[in-house]
Amino acid sequence: MTTPAISISHLRKVYRGGTVAVDDLDMTIAPGDFFGFLGPNGAGKSTTIHCITGIAKPTSGKIEVFGIDAVKDYREARRLIGLSPQEFNVDTFATVTQIVEWMAGYFGLHAAQRKARTQMLIERFDLTAHAKKQFRELSGGLKRRVILARALVHDPKLLILDEPTAGVDVELRLDLWRYLQELNREGKTILLTSHYLEEIERLTRTIAIIAGGRIVREGPKSDFLKGHGLETAYLTATGATPEHLAAAGAA
Amino acid sequence: MAPMRPMTVNWVGLWTIIRREWSRVMRVPIQAFLAPWISALLFIFIFGYVVGGRITSIGGHRYIEFVLPGVLMLNVVNAAFLQSTSQIYFQRFLRYIEETLVSPLSYVEMIVGSLAMTIVRSMVTALGILIIGAAFGATSLSNIPEFLFWVFGVAVIFGLLGIIVGLWANNFEQLTMLNVFFITPLSMVGGVFNTVEMLPGWLKWIAWGNPFFYFVNGLRHSMIGYSDGAHVVLIGAAVTLSLMTVMGLIVWRLFAVGYGLRE
Repeated sequence: MTTPAISISHLRKVYRGGTVAVDDLDMTIAPGDFFGFLGPNGAGKSTTIHCITGIAKPTSGKIEVFGIDAVKDYREARRLIGLSPQEFNVDTFATVTQIVEWMAGYFGLHAAQRKARTQMLIERFDLTAHAKKQFRELSGGLKRRVILARALVHDPKLLILDEPTAGVDVELRLDLWRYLQELNREGKTILLTSHYLEEIERLTRTIAIIAGGRIVREGPKSDFLKGHGLETAYLTATGATPEHLAAAGAA
Repeated sequence: MAPMRPMTVNWVGLWTIIRREWSRVMRVPIQAFLAPWISALLFIFIFGYVVGGRITSIGGHRYIEFVLPGVLMLNVVNAAFLQSTSQIYFQRFLRYIEETLVSPLSYVEMIVGSLAMTIVRSMVTALGILIIGAAFGATSLSNIPEFLFWVFGVAVIFGLLGIIVGLWANNFEQLTMLNVFFITPLSMVGGVFNTVEMLPGWLKWIAWGNPFFYFVNGLRHSMIGYSDGAHVVLIGAAVTLSLMTVMGLIVWRLFAVGYGLRE
């Protein structure tokens, strides 16, 4: 039996103040899959991602990344993950090159590797003209590219993308889609969250919908596309109002 | 990419933390280095030279020689505390602390990396003040290894304290509270400008219970060979080593539980 890329069992996350962000969540992602993770705002998508990557501490439950316990063996697990978060968590006074190169250093890449990978990714994401600019000087789309380059610099086996094309122009979105599909064909496992259903439909093979901190539906993309399509499946799974369903053409 | 070997010490990651922090400090070199040197120069000139010129001797030494170690210690404490608090707080404020949280750095590596730049900044500050003191003919180093022990030890203690405050603070005012209400007052009454014997009887117990007194006394002993008591240097060394150990363990535990770091 193949080791899952991500295996989450009974994950629970309660924030200070008592908010239950994730409530007994179970989820498995096969290696090499392109996995879509959908849900309304506040459903627990980012919290789940933060628990996987170490930004948040799970209250209870177990998370394994390629069979490695993400809490007990956090260093080994984190080596395998590249994260492009929803919000820009960057030293805004650092330059594009510094941001990518420092991340490579954190992951233990030696000088020659760091330089090569940083250079390659800056070119790949068309950031060469901006390499020496500070992050705060960049437009939203360019910032998003830097975050993606940073996530990829150590060539992770698992790429987690939390709304990677938010605020990005059409050309860049299409370019990113092509690049992500290429990475997935090369064997990278990708976990993608997005509010753009077209993006999920185009890129992913498996979809999970989270609402109220729990997975409410999960399965192959083909299952979601039957009937009235992904939008209706999503709205139904998340308990949408009849008005929303009518607007989606499902009522 | 080459297949992964099991992780041992992430030396490259540790060096990256240090390089990165150096880069951040060098964005504000005037604030980081010049400001404490100017402050020290003013203290040495006014208290050591102008006022001290009217004092015959204290503890058998010229007043300017007596006061220089205290001024140096004041600035090392400030440099270490400011470096640490700002490093951790701004990483949290701008959220780029998450870059280290998602990377395969151990808690010890994160702490050592943070402290390394604190120690560098403290040492550079101390070196600059020694040079300023030399210009006034006030610098002497009777025991260099002991001198390095005190500067290093105090830098580590206040670096660790700065990390704790940086993790705790939720706004800029909280960041400076400890400095205003605790560090500055205690350091001022810690024997920077006077010996314990010069204090009124009812105040002497404050000196003996004030850790700054031991730091200043120890540094003074390493520079001019003067100590406010036969065993005070040894007691001070024990206090310093104990504080380094206890605070190191506290900071390690805070990182392990994610206090101020993880959601």
